[in-house]
Amino acid sequence: MTVVRLAEVARVHGEGATAVHALKGVSLEVDAGELVAVMGPSGSGKSTLLNLAGGLDRPTSGTVHIDEQDLATVRDLAALRRRRVGYVFQDLNLITSLTAAENVMLPRELDGVRSRLAREEAMAVLAEIDGESLADRFPDELSGGQRQQVAIARALVGERRLLLADEPTGALDTRTGDEILQTLRARCDAGAAVLLITHEPRYAAWADRVVFLRDGMITDTTDTTDTSLVSAR
Amino acid sequence: MVHTAYAYLVLMSVRHGLLALLSRGPRHGYQLRVEFEASTGATWPLNIGQVYTTLSRMERDGLVKPGESDEQGRVVYTITAAGREEMARWFSTPVVQSDRPRDELVIKLAMAVAAKKVDVAEVINMQRTATMRALQQLTRAKRAATEGAVQRLVLDSMIFQAEAEQRWLDHCEAVLKEER
Repeated sequence: MTVVRLAEVARVHGEGATAVHALKGVSLEVDAGELVAVMGPSGSGKSTLLNLAGGLDRPTSGTVHIDEQDLATVRDLAALRRRRVGYVFQDLNLITSLTAAENVMLPRELDGVRSRLAREEAMAVLAEIDGESLADRFPDELSGGQRQQVAIARALVGERRLLLADEPTGALDTRTGDEILQTLRARCDAGAAVLLITHEPRYAAWADRVVFLRDGMITDTTDTTDTSLVSAR
Repeated sequence: MVHTAYAYLVLMSVRHGLLALLSRGPRHGYQLRVEFEASTGATWPLNIGQVYTTLSRMERDGLVKPGESDEQGRVVYTITAAGREEMARWFSTPVVQSDRPRDELVIKLAMAVAAKKVDVAEVINMQRTATMRALQQLTRAKRAATEGAVQRLVLDSMIFQAEAEQRWLDHCEAVLKEER
C-alpha cells in the first residue's frame, strides 16, 4: 500500500528571470513498511521534496497523494497533516515545559481526543520504542538520543503512518545515531512509511531504497531487490 | 605488485592474529581457525591450509612450538617467549597508512580525469550507487548480527570505510563541477 506518492512534481519559487526551480519533475512513492532515504547536497531540493510530501507546501505542477488522497483536493491541509503525517527534525522538537508523555499526547489532544485516551495512546507508542521509563521526565532530563526517540513517538502517535524525518540524527554521536535509525527501522517494520533526509551515508544505508537528488532531479536510486554482492569495482 | 603487497599484509595479520589466540593457551590448527573467525565476527574466513602454512612458518621463526599430538592426531601448538614478544610489538605499533595497498578507485578516477574523453560525473554516479548498495548490505548484516559487539564492530569498520569512500566521491563531484 502506497502511503505517499509524488508524480512529476515540480516546484518553482518566484517568477520570470529570478525563478528558482527547486524540483524539476520528481516521481517517488513510499509504501507502508518502507524506509526511503533521500541524499543530496544542499540546494538539491531535499527540503522542498519533504515539504511537498508532507503537505507543508503545494507543487507548481504534478500531484501529491497521501493515503490515496490528492492533496490538491484537500482544503484543510493542516488538519490532514495532523492526522496523517508525523515530522521529526534535527532540533526544534519537544516543548520543554511538558513531560515526554505530554509531548507525545499533544497532537492527539489538538485533534480533540480526550486527555485520558491521548495518554493511553502516548504510553502505547512510547512502549513500542521501549521509552516507557521516559514518560514522566522533562526534555531537559533526557539525553539527545532520548529526546529524539520521544520525538519519533510523538510523530507516530495515533493513526499516523507517514513519518518525515529531516536530518533526525543531527549532531548526535554515531552510536546514538544508530539507535535512532534502529527505532525508525523498527517502526517501518511495524507498518509505518518513513521518508528520511540525511547527508550521512551510514544512516541512509538503513533504508530499503536510497534516492540521490541533484539540482531538483532524481539522478539515481538503489533498492534491496538488487543483491549483487559488494561494490562493482 | 599491489596484490603482492596486499597478500603480504594479510599474511602478517593472520600470523599475529594466531599469536594472539595462542597467548591464551595451547591450541591445535582447527581450533585456531574457528576462534580466528569468531573473533573477527565471521567477516574474515580462513582456510585450514592457510592456518597450517602460517603455523609452520612461525615454528621456523621460533614464535611457536609444536607439542604432542592429541588422540585424534592433531598437533597442539604453544606460543614461545619470542612469540609473545612479537605479539606485544604488533599491538604496540600503529598501522601505517602507506603500508596499505593503493586504492583502485582513486586510480580509476584520476585516470578518468586525465583521459579527458571519459564522463567523470558518470563514473562517480555509478560508483556512488554501487558503494551505497554495499553500505546497505553491510547495514543489513549488522542488523542481523547476533554474535555480540565484536562482530558488529568489525562490520562497523567496513561501514565507516564505505562511508569515507562515499564522502570522497561527493567531494570529487563538487570540486570537479567547479573546475568545469
